Amino acid sequence: MTDTTTTTTRPTRHARPPIVWSHVLERYALVILVLALVVLFSVLPASGEIFASPQNFRSLVANQGVPLLIAVAAVFPLAAGYFDFSVGAVAASSSVMTAAALADYDAPLPLAVAMGVLFGTLIGTFLGFLIAYVGINPFISTLGVATLLGGVIFAYTGGLRISAGIPTDLTDIGSRDWFGIPRVVIVAGLVAGIAWWILSRTVFGRRLYSVGSNARATHLLGVDVRRTQLLAFVASGTIAGLGGVLLLARNGGATSDNGMMMLFPALTAVLLSTIVIDIGRPSVPGVIVAILFIAVTVSGLTLVGTPSWVNQVFNGAALLIAVAVARLARRRSTHGAGASSS
Amino acid sequence: MITTNPGDSEPALRVTRLSKTYATRVVDQVDWSLAPGRVHALLGGNGSGKSTLLKMIAGVVAPDHGGLIEVGGVSHASEDYTPVAARAAGLRFVHQDLALVDDMSVADNFALATGYPRSRFGAIDDRDLIRHVTGQLEKRGLTIDARTPVSTLRPTERTLVAIARALDGVDGDTATLVLDEPTASLPVSEVEHLFSSIRALREAGHSIVFVSHRLGEVEEIADDVTILRDGRVVGQGAIADFSEARIVELMAGHAHEQSFRRGTPVADSVTPILEVADLSVGPIRDARLTVRPGEIVGVAGLVGSGRSSLLRGIFGDLPSTGTVTVDGRTVPRGRTRDAVDAGIALVPEDRQRDAAFLDRPVWENLSAVILKRYRRLGQLSSRAERADAPEAMREYTVRAPSPSIPLAALSGGNQQKVIVARWLRARPRVILLDEPTQGVDAVARDEIHVLLRGAVDAGAAAIVVSSDLDELEQLSDRVLVLQGGRITDHLRGDDVHRETITQAMHESGVTP
Repeated sequence: MTDTTTTTTRPTRHARPPIVWSHVLERYALVILVLALVVLFSVLPASGEIFASPQNFRSLVANQGVPLLIAVAAVFPLAAGYFDFSVGAVAASSSVMTAAALADYDAPLPLAVAMGVLFGTLIGTFLGFLIAYVGINPFISTLGVATLLGGVIFAYTGGLRISAGIPTDLTDIGSRDWFGIPRVVIVAGLVAGIAWWILSRTVFGRRLYSVGSNARATHLLGVDVRRTQLLAFVASGTIAGLGGVLLLARNGGATSDNGMMMLFPALTAVLLSTIVIDIGRPSVPGVIVAILFIAVTVSGLTLVGTPSWVNQVFNGAALLIAVAVARLARRRSTHGAGASSS
Repeated sequence: MITTNPGDSEPALRVTRLSKTYATRVVDQVDWSLAPGRVHALLGGNGSGKSTLLKMIAGVVAPDHGGLIEVGGVSHASEDYTPVAARAAGLRFVHQDLALVDDMSVADNFALATGYPRSRFGAIDDRDLIRHVTGQLEKRGLTIDARTPVSTLRPTERTLVAIARALDGVDGDTATLVLDEPTASLPVSEVEHLFSSIRALREAGHSIVFVSHRLGEVEEIADDVTILRDGRVVGQGAIADFSEARIVELMAGHAHEQSFRRGTPVADSVTPILEVADLSVGPIRDARLTVRPGEIVGVAGLVGSGRSSLLRGIFGDLPSTGTVTVDGRTVPRGRTRDAVDAGIALVPEDRQRDAAFLDRPVWENLSAVILKRYRRLGQLSSRAERADAPEAMREYTVRAPSPSIPLAALSGGNQQKVIVARWLRARPRVILLDEPTQGVDAVARDEIHVLLRGAVDAGAAAIVVSSDLDELEQLSDRVLVLQGGRITDHLRGDDVHRETITQAMHESGVTP
């Protein structure tokens, strides 16, 4: 019950507090780590030559466009306090949806893209309704929908790849550059930018984080909490749908993959994002840093010649560490600094 | 009947110079003893230190150094006392919520507390358990099948099961049983049944501490009484020596000096801001009230009288029927948003759970209600929010090293001022406050009162629910008294006084 905050300062004094370097270090620790890893893998004899090459950097970045969107999709529900395990499966099924529209039904490209994205929106709306209005546990409903979608994908594709009839206008986005930057990165960056704006520069975004911080208090401010939760899943589904279309563009075809392998890197990135810059909250800039962290590490380790199982171990460990660190950071920010519990 | 006077024989329980200090001293040098084989009523209002005293006796709250706790003839220094020592000495507690698991059988509820008997192979021996529990129930005069789920029991039976469970294991000796508000959730018709059981326990030589807010019941069941106020014993002795009026007087104490009441009452001819008609919500039935600009109306009532429900009903946080109008316009029922749009503010009772964004910075908490003011062309300017925060902190006397530290780092009083400020910045027409200064230090308490009076003087109307009668007396221009969901009294002028309020709250003794 020691309370230093009330005795040391008067309300009339509101000078900017001195910068506490340990806090700055904490907020940017992951950014520094990414930079350090880039330097490390660039100078290591085993990986340096290839790692530091422009080609490697290009593919490293280009490969992250789709994972970035899937992770950004998961930021919205997590901001409101819910994990969304459906993002990978939604992306996979949107990819199949668009490919099927193009290959099997000869739909024009804009329509096929719109169908893929809207499919994601639809799934998101359905999930949001189940979770916010029916009150079904988000863990179970998102995992259930993910499993269901995986089954539907397999039923439709029969385990085969749909690659015929995908127009080059679409695949060019996946493989070619604009102004020397991979188009996939530009598109993903644009979507991430809009998501960042919504989350951090609009009333809706603030409300979303309020719901995650204290849903009951948000309700008592006159906010429609359930609608906010619903919209979080709508946003998640839509962005995951976009991610699916981009996946199709990148791969040049849709596979029967159920998307679960895309889910875990996304979850890891979203959780890691909560320990970047604004400690305790998932954020788009945080996700970008986290995605780069994972990509640089995996690429570097592969080049150094570590066996392939190391990647999986690394991903799992990163996820666990992210959860633990985020938990500790959150506990410290809510209970720290001489807080009085009464 | 045994007619020992307290102090004559070895007491069942005695505490000497027992204190507990949090931010302030909540229990102050209490000397208290419980004579064996008697029912001893422990009385005191909110903040009297009654619960803390009981928790110290239970061993769950560590007392300050220097006191003594004596149970079953063994004396413990206050710092060495533990729940194990309490239990070993035959102390047993039955809490207000009874701590029964509704879905499980009576026998399972016993076993959860005392452990399951095991067969030779380590499995639970159900037959042995049922036999044991049946025996225990019979011993307490209960004819209940041990396999009955607790959810199907009547309220008194639940209480008696909890008592029987608490006494399980003290077969030979006598126990000291603490009953915390055992009648609070009982209908009047069943109280007598509980009382005959309590008397039977007393005849068997057990000592009972009886905590209740219902003075009529206390007069009926207790042999001795102790009254606490502000952490001190202000009255102690045989119940026969205390009239109900005397108890009320002792519980209420003396008036706090500072008052934030209006000099002259608002005339009845002034058009009210808030009009509530036929509002039914939770236990509240057909509430009807008006509040005029410049008025603070206090609401008094015991736990369960529907105080919080009344506010939450007006705010649309609970399903309700009836009409609520603000400045002549009807507020649609059922959505908090409509209430906020109509200019109603609610400062809820449980700050941490229902109001605070503890992990978020102070500035974000301060602008939570007026967020839309910081929106230009769809874009929220957190820079402007941050820039306005120091000014708001000054205006609402919030003390924090910086507006950017998390709300959790502030003291309880400053957190509460942030919550109050958040609403007052929106200039609400009607301010509803539920226990606005609970767990808040004395300085912050006065500051919150000043802020509230200021807002009301500027033309708002306020309703304050408080179990702190000093607060009601200091703040309220009028006081409504709630009993069992109905407004049973309306105190004005000189009647807005803690003694009158206490009397009105306890008037009929029991809730219908």
